[in-house]
Amino acid sequence: MKQAIEIEKLTKRYGKHRGVEQISLTVAEGDIFGFLGPNGAGKSTTIRSMLGLLRYQDGEIRIFGKKAGKQQKELLSSIGYMPSEAMFYPGMKVSEVIRFAADARRMDCGKEATRICEILEIDKNKKTEELSLGNRKKVSIVCAMQHKPGLLILDEPTSGLDPLMQEAFFDLLLEYNREGTTIFLSSHALSEVRRYCKNAAIIKDGSIIKTDTVEHLSKSNIRRVTISGNGRRETFDFKGSIKELLRQINEMEASVPIDDLLIEEPPLEELFMHYYE
Amino acid sequence: MTILKHEIRRNVKTLIIWTTCVGFICFSCLMLFHSLEDTMEEMAGAYAQMGAFSAALGLDRLNIGTPEGFYATEIALIFAIGGAMFAAMTGAGIVAKEEEGHTAEFLCTLPFGRKQILLSKYAAMVLLIMFFQAVCLLWIAAGFAGIGVFLEKDSFFLYHAMQFLMQLEVGSICFLISAVCKKRQIGMALGFSVLLYLADLLCRAIPDLERLKYLTPFYFSNAADLFTNKSADIEMAVISLAVTAVCLTAAAFVYEKRDLAS
Repeated sequence: MKQAIEIEKLTKRYGKHRGVEQISLTVAEGDIFGFLGPNGAGKSTTIRSMLGLLRYQDGEIRIFGKKAGKQQKELLSSIGYMPSEAMFYPGMKVSEVIRFAADARRMDCGKEATRICEILEIDKNKKTEELSLGNRKKVSIVCAMQHKPGLLILDEPTSGLDPLMQEAFFDLLLEYNREGTTIFLSSHALSEVRRYCKNAAIIKDGSIIKTDTVEHLSKSNIRRVTISGNGRRETFDFKGSIKELLRQINEMEASVPIDDLLIEEPPLEELFMHYYE
Repeated sequence: MTILKHEIRRNVKTLIIWTTCVGFICFSCLMLFHSLEDTMEEMAGAYAQMGAFSAALGLDRLNIGTPEGFYATEIALIFAIGGAMFAAMTGAGIVAKEEEGHTAEFLCTLPFGRKQILLSKYAAMVLLIMFFQAVCLLWIAAGFAGIGVFLEKDSFFLYHAMQFLMQLEVGSICFLISAVCKKRQIGMALGFSVLLYLADLLCRAIPDLERLKYLTPFYFSNAADLFTNKSADIEMAVISLAVTAVCLTAAAFVYEKRDLAS
């Protein structure tokens, strides 16, 4: 399978401070890849290195086979990037910003830009300084997507978007993905990653600690058990086989009668918490 | 071309303000020439008593009572300082404003490449300086037409060509600073251009400081020298061009290598 992103032993330090240390990562073409990690883990450093905004000390980054740094211009032609906090030139209208981004790619993206603007309900005549965070995000979605890139890099894309817009945005993403666009999604929203991503990597303290399918990452043999009986309610986490769990419940019932029993998976946030801690 | 056009559009308001201010002051001063003509003789006498200061302003070589002397010692002073300040301010802001305004991430993730971004911005700065010169020249020409006097063309255009080189050098030095810094250094740029003018005055007034002439581009673009000698100091002009080239090369090198803030 062809790789859209190949990162090999990437190391970026800011003076004495750590950025990322020897991280390696591959994202296959056509994948929707989640990139998870707590604040300061190195997510933005990795993304900014891929985009050529940071000059790293060691390692290699290739996007669609093109080397970052040496073939940066060609590499950026095939990327659409949506930053976590989009800022535009004050005094410019939304339509001018969108046209500027299209002109930079020497492409006529008018039709697609208009379609996305309609879906996201963007007023193209507004000045950029009049836009709220959410509306700035929407404009950056248009700038990132209007040229139908081979790779979309999204840094916290839904922060600031209302739930309806989030839904419309993910519908657009899935539509692009069906047409072949690879999506690299850095997010804190685990539910988003679980719902839309096929594979994911978890970064912590500048190192990748786990890369796997989202299904495997969110699967656990931990069960949250809630027992009610005799006016009392007790909740505990159980790790082990179902047989063992049933044996324990039987033992408990022998001493205190059980009126109600709930066995569930712990929330996704809690499942991932041990990666973060 | 996209960045070049974008930069020109973004700087057009500043250009209009500066060309209007500097051009209008030059025009107004020229319009005062005939009304001041009678008192000019007395002023020329007073200036002649001022020794080194008179030499520094070029009043030992030119008569302020003549249109040429009036232009070279009064109008040229306004034009030189105003032009240097405009060039310094434009150069100091044109690159660093991207990081200061948090637009660097937007611009630098479009498929331009840093070299193209930097060279386009430099070309925009050069064009803005040229527009500044051209519009101010129109104001000055209108002033001369208003008083019905015209200067000898060769010296006049030689002076403005040297002024262009001087503004280019000042702009290029500030452009280098802009490529290194994450914030616009406008105050520093304006102070720097005034300091260069003072260095020119000092090296002319104080013999021990003569070597300062190699540091300040105001020296080779001095109106009194150019209108008196009718020729430019080629050696100094070449040094100026070399400084300009070094600044552009260094700016490209630094900008290519450094991390960009969002």
